[in-house]
Amino acid sequence: MLALDVRNLNKKYPNFQLKDVSFQLEKGYIMGFIGANGAGKTTTIKSIMNMLHLESGEVRILGKNMAEHEIELKQEIGFAFGDIDFYTRSKMSTLTGILKKFYHNWDEEAYRSYLRRFKLDENKKIVELSSGMKVKYSLALALSHGAKLLILDEPTSGLDPVARDDLLDVFQELVVDGEISILFSTHITSDLEKCADYITYIADGRIINSSEKEQFKETYRLLSGSASQLDQVKDRLISYKTSSFGFTGLIHAADFDPAAGIKAATPSLEEIMIYYAKKEAAYV
Amino acid sequence: MYNLLLKDLKLGVNPWFIAMPFLMGALMLVPGWIYLIVLMYFYWISVPSIFAQYRGQNDLLFTSMLPVTRRDMVRARVSVFVILELLHIVVAMIYGLFTVRLYPNMDYYFFAPHLGFWGLGFVMLGIYNLFLFPLFYKTAYKYGPAQIAAIAAATIFAFAAQWAGIQSPYLSDLFNGSGADHTGVQASILAAGIAIFIAFTWIAYRISFRRFRQVEIK
Repeated sequence: MLALDVRNLNKKYPNFQLKDVSFQLEKGYIMGFIGANGAGKTTTIKSIMNMLHLESGEVRILGKNMAEHEIELKQEIGFAFGDIDFYTRSKMSTLTGILKKFYHNWDEEAYRSYLRRFKLDENKKIVELSSGMKVKYSLALALSHGAKLLILDEPTSGLDPVARDDLLDVFQELVVDGEISILFSTHITSDLEKCADYITYIADGRIINSSEKEQFKETYRLLSGSASQLDQVKDRLISYKTSSFGFTGLIHAADFDPAAGIKAATPSLEEIMIYYAKKEAAYV
Repeated sequence: MYNLLLKDLKLGVNPWFIAMPFLMGALMLVPGWIYLIVLMYFYWISVPSIFAQYRGQNDLLFTSMLPVTRRDMVRARVSVFVILELLHIVVAMIYGLFTVRLYPNMDYYFFAPHLGFWGLGFVMLGIYNLFLFPLFYKTAYKYGPAQIAAIAAATIFAFAAQWAGIQSPYLSDLFNGSGADHTGVQASILAAGIAIFIAFTWIAYRISFRRFRQVEIK
């Protein structure tokens, strides 16, 4: 079953547009949504949450159309924005007291246990929490109202390496039972190397690739060779960099002939992002 | 809607603004003053601070994540303001009762705080709502232009009414003279004021909701 099914989203702004954004997330998995700053991650997430008026496209969550069942589905979705704060001068206990009334399936016991597990002191104000703690508080709220789909916008940005690692462990624990699915956007690709099952990559408002993580990386080859070898493959490369030693460049695995004798390796997510960004820049 | 109203009151309205009607209402005890000004403190002081709180705490995005309809979001917000307006006007009316008894031989140049006068107060706040909400909900975050327009409209009405009350012998008699002793007449002026307040606020809510539906949450 699909936890999230995004089809052909189109949204135009004067200087930016989402073009035919489509991807699917299977229930019980973690999908990393990557892209450079300004690539359209947040716009896509807000489109999923029905906050924007789209030119076209459809979002289905847990099998239901989001536009038609928004209120019902929001009972089953947990949101967190890593870089936006809400009511920072209020205590967690005050906010929770207000928020829990909105959810039919609020489980007070589960909430208490998540507070203990995440070491959150309810009497603290939001402003007193570290960035990691804030995300954990959002998670505690989402999980206590029985959210089946967690949509997290840059939850790990601004976190130190230890807090990030800790949070990624939490994500992995959450999906173990196969009930909860997570979509999280980030530009920190090392997070995804660690915990994502699927990767969706967006650049300049278009989905470049969306697939299982290893398969995603296997779609590309990172070539390195001499300047003369560059001429053999230049027109098939997504983009490349040259140095006094020769070149390194990214190519679609399908476009690469291993018999050419050029050294090839599987690129990291970061390398894929960087070379794609270079391609975009070349077109501007 | 009820949960949303509680949320808007608890998170957006500092208890100080609940105390404001009682503090500012005491200005009713100033003998022979322009009493419509007492109600204006609501939109001069409380409203900008409340709007700033909602915007500063990213309330629009926060509320958009909750399982609530846009209709209820507008309804709750309008209700918060109406509750505060009623508090301001009712508390001022109570102070007004004391004013009339404290200074029984007062010669009023401006409107005296009789029952009919409060009808004008309701109309003034109704006009304020009529301008404020529809202009605010064009964006759901820019409150400055909406505030300026609404304050201007309500204040112009108030001073025009007061000026007419001084210039016209008929109005002067109706609000301050022998007409002020006719409870029936006074009560019907008040009732008409309340009816206009309800009608204007209702229209404001309808337009606001229609506009808010088109707003993108950024």
